[in-house]
Amino acid sequence: MAGSHKDEVSRREFLEGTGAAVVAVTAASTLGAQAPVPGALETAPSAVEDVPRTRISVIVNGTKHVLEVEDRWTLVELLRDHLRLTGTKIGCDRGECGACTVLLDGKAVYSCSNLAVWADGREIVTVEGLARGGRLDPLQQAFIDHNAPQCAFCTSGQLMSARALLNRNPSPTAAQIRSAMVGNLCRCANYPAIVEAVLAAAGQPNGGAR
Amino acid sequence: MSEQTGTPLSALATVGHATPRIDALERVTGRATYTADVVLPGMLFARALRSPHPHARIRRIDTARAEALPGVRAVITHENGAVWWGAGSIAGGGQYNDELKQITKQRRYTFNNPVRFVGEPVAAVAAVNRHVAEEALRLITVDYEVLPFVIDPEEALEPSAVKIWPEGNLALNTRNEAQPNAVRRGSLDEGFGAADEVFENRFTTAFVHNAQMEPRASVAHWEGDKLTVYTPTGGISNCRHDIARDLGIADENVRVVCQYMGGNFGNKNQNQDADLIAATLARKAGAPVRLELSRKEDWLGMHGRWHTIQRYKVGVKKDGTITAIQSRAISGMGGYRKNSGGVSGLELYECPNVESTTYPVYTNRTSSGNNRGPSDPQGFFGIESMMDEIAHKLKMDPVEFALKNMRKPSAQLQYTNYSLDECIRRGAELFDWKRRWRPTPGSDVGPVKRGAGMSFMAFRAGLGRSSAMLRIDARRRYTLFVGVTDVGGGAKTTMGMIAAEELGVPLSQVDVVSGDTDRCPYSVGESGSRTTIMTGYAVVEAARDLKRQIAEHGIPAGNDVLTASATPNPNSGGKVRSCFGAHFVEAEVDTELGAVRITKYVAVHESGRIMNPLTARDQIRGAALQGIGQALREDLLYDRRNGQPLNAGYYGARHMTHLGAADIEVTFIEVDDGFGPYGAKTIGESGIILGPAAVANAVSNAIGRRITDIPIARDRIMGALA
Repeated sequence: MAGSHKDEVSRREFLEGTGAAVVAVTAASTLGAQAPVPGALETAPSAVEDVPRTRISVIVNGTKHVLEVEDRWTLVELLRDHLRLTGTKIGCDRGECGACTVLLDGKAVYSCSNLAVWADGREIVTVEGLARGGRLDPLQQAFIDHNAPQCAFCTSGQLMSARALLNRNPSPTAAQIRSAMVGNLCRCANYPAIVEAVLAAAGQPNGGAR
Repeated sequence: MSEQTGTPLSALATVGHATPRIDALERVTGRATYTADVVLPGMLFARALRSPHPHARIRRIDTARAEALPGVRAVITHENGAVWWGAGSIAGGGQYNDELKQITKQRRYTFNNPVRFVGEPVAAVAAVNRHVAEEALRLITVDYEVLPFVIDPEEALEPSAVKIWPEGNLALNTRNEAQPNAVRRGSLDEGFGAADEVFENRFTTAFVHNAQMEPRASVAHWEGDKLTVYTPTGGISNCRHDIARDLGIADENVRVVCQYMGGNFGNKNQNQDADLIAATLARKAGAPVRLELSRKEDWLGMHGRWHTIQRYKVGVKKDGTITAIQSRAISGMGGYRKNSGGVSGLELYECPNVESTTYPVYTNRTSSGNNRGPSDPQGFFGIESMMDEIAHKLKMDPVEFALKNMRKPSAQLQYTNYSLDECIRRGAELFDWKRRWRPTPGSDVGPVKRGAGMSFMAFRAGLGRSSAMLRIDARRRYTLFVGVTDVGGGAKTTMGMIAAEELGVPLSQVDVVSGDTDRCPYSVGESGSRTTIMTGYAVVEAARDLKRQIAEHGIPAGNDVLTASATPNPNSGGKVRSCFGAHFVEAEVDTELGAVRITKYVAVHESGRIMNPLTARDQIRGAALQGIGQALREDLLYDRRNGQPLNAGYYGARHMTHLGAADIEVTFIEVDDGFGPYGAKTIGESGIILGPAAVANAVSNAIGRRITDIPIARDRIMGALA
């Protein structure tokens, strides 16, 4: 409910604030000055053209991009709106549902809860980057075989969380899968099929670590 | 097998075999296109401003500063952009009835004054990007006259309560009269007079948001007089008609497209205000517009399952025969009437003397509307909890009590087939009911106690009109055109399988075109669990026609094609057609912590022939888990002092995660009653109906105290034990 409550700070506004603070902290540290005041949250840019921008370099699905991003963009906005990688979904935009999960330097993160500028110099893998050389990731095939997607809106995020898990633990138990993927909601409640699919992928040769 | 149980199945080539979805690749690679993935050239981004007050009159709304912000292209409010929204408030809540939308005295517009709940739209902005649109919202000043509000539906019925509508807070019925919905049969005096014992109790159920993963979005695009709307809807045909009616244009000038949709569960069957707002902004701005709702806007601005207060009075004889049932239910509808507010379940019991009264009531909460099995899980929770309690009081096994009192076929009530008794018996056996159920509730020694509960249901599986078209080309590729959206249940695959079966070709030879009103014929859409039965049967008929044509003309050559279509309107000859089911649950309760764990869950369903066992199983498992969520977790809490919703969103509403998902054991009893496509019946909604009652009965059996309110949060367990 953007703008309707004063006491309500949206995820993006919050991140804008903290993001600005991070940038400022870095600069301030260099100058040996005090950390910025909390008032940073209130200062929203007011025109289309003069919003703060930063040049960043990211590797997305193996391709290097040098981009000028608005400081207020979340990582998922960069991916969806500007790199047109719409496989990553926005379910809540506030770190509750996991539909936006991507790999950031191999770790599963909510891309709605990261600013694009924070990804500078880092490597991102999205659902579009799972298949390699025209071959599906074993997880993708297992998701197909075990009917893991129902409406499929959460599927990309489930896949990325599962990929991060199998990269660090190629043979997880069902309980370990449930724990690792607790941040990926499925309102179709197709949880059993998702766990079955991850177990099946983990059981295959090459199914686990990549 | 008796005549009533239908005939055993004959094996088929494609139907009945576990089949991965034909669009599974799109679903696992991120290529599936949902509404918010649609980008059109020159497209603007829109956001809505919403009321922070539960009830307020807008004195003045100033948009000048927003309009002056660079990048803003259109701003609309109740003064310059309100459109009458027919499906938003309907006389009697008759949601598929144009006339009832037309006649209601309580019309809803896309922007209303006064506003009646927190989260109701008051303005919308289209701008060059999302951030500018959001900033523009902050520049709109609304001068509200804050009005008294009412949050509790029982209080709303008091004469002293603030009137949310001039006619009062009891929602008007289909004749625009402020009367409750009442059903009477027999004589309560006689019924209670004949009873050996009379029991009474009161139950409450919470508002449950549909909470589909895809937040509402709508992309509107005008080309001259023709409007294209990309929108998440499970009923493209109904949605198109709704949009056309509300905008005052011809149906053929509206095209609705929905290729993929992130969950339905009942709030995406018709048009929503988002579609009308996007279309209005797009017309005003002269450019395509994508309106996006945040998760919180979706939670408060759409709708969820109506919360209820149910009172029952039941008379029984010592042998367990029910002699009278009286019920009085109140359903909280929020500020607008989107649906009936009905409370189901009584119809499952044989009883000659029944009086049932339901009061759909306005409050200043978020709207209530369709949610998977709209009137069922909450009603079944009430009546089947009541009956479970009576069985215990009479020292009868609840399974025996159910088998004795459930509605059975009779000369006046004939079913195409009937298998409720078989579902219950099979479930009791698979669950090992005699071992798990505690004849003395709460008798386990120690603080961690187990108990068992069951519930049973029949749900409509009626036949009806729908359409399908089929084409064959010279390369022997078949293309099926059906006006369905695959909301997640697997309809696209099921329709393809039915066509392949009837045509006698492999599924890989059939392409399915769906989700686009310009390309597909009418379908009832994915609501009421009707797609497989109705549109599926139209596919059978179209395939038969195409086979006849091929037999006559041969396979087409060159660039020729043969096409067939069908619009059957079958009926079941005066017999009732139902699916049936019974769920058995074991719950483990930590009585020191108030924590509940589901330790066994058996779901037995008779849904006719199962078209695709792979997707059917997961419809039931997912629905049962949603039912557990409704039983144990979900609620939308309000602060009664200020009318503010407190926990809109997945985290606040305690939605189930991977960790909370119990193992659901699904068994289908398969029969062919000779109707529908190959005997297929309803699945999608049926699985959610039984969870709340069965879970609550299991918890009651474990702790030895009757659970009367869901969700069964920890404080309720502790309260019951205090």
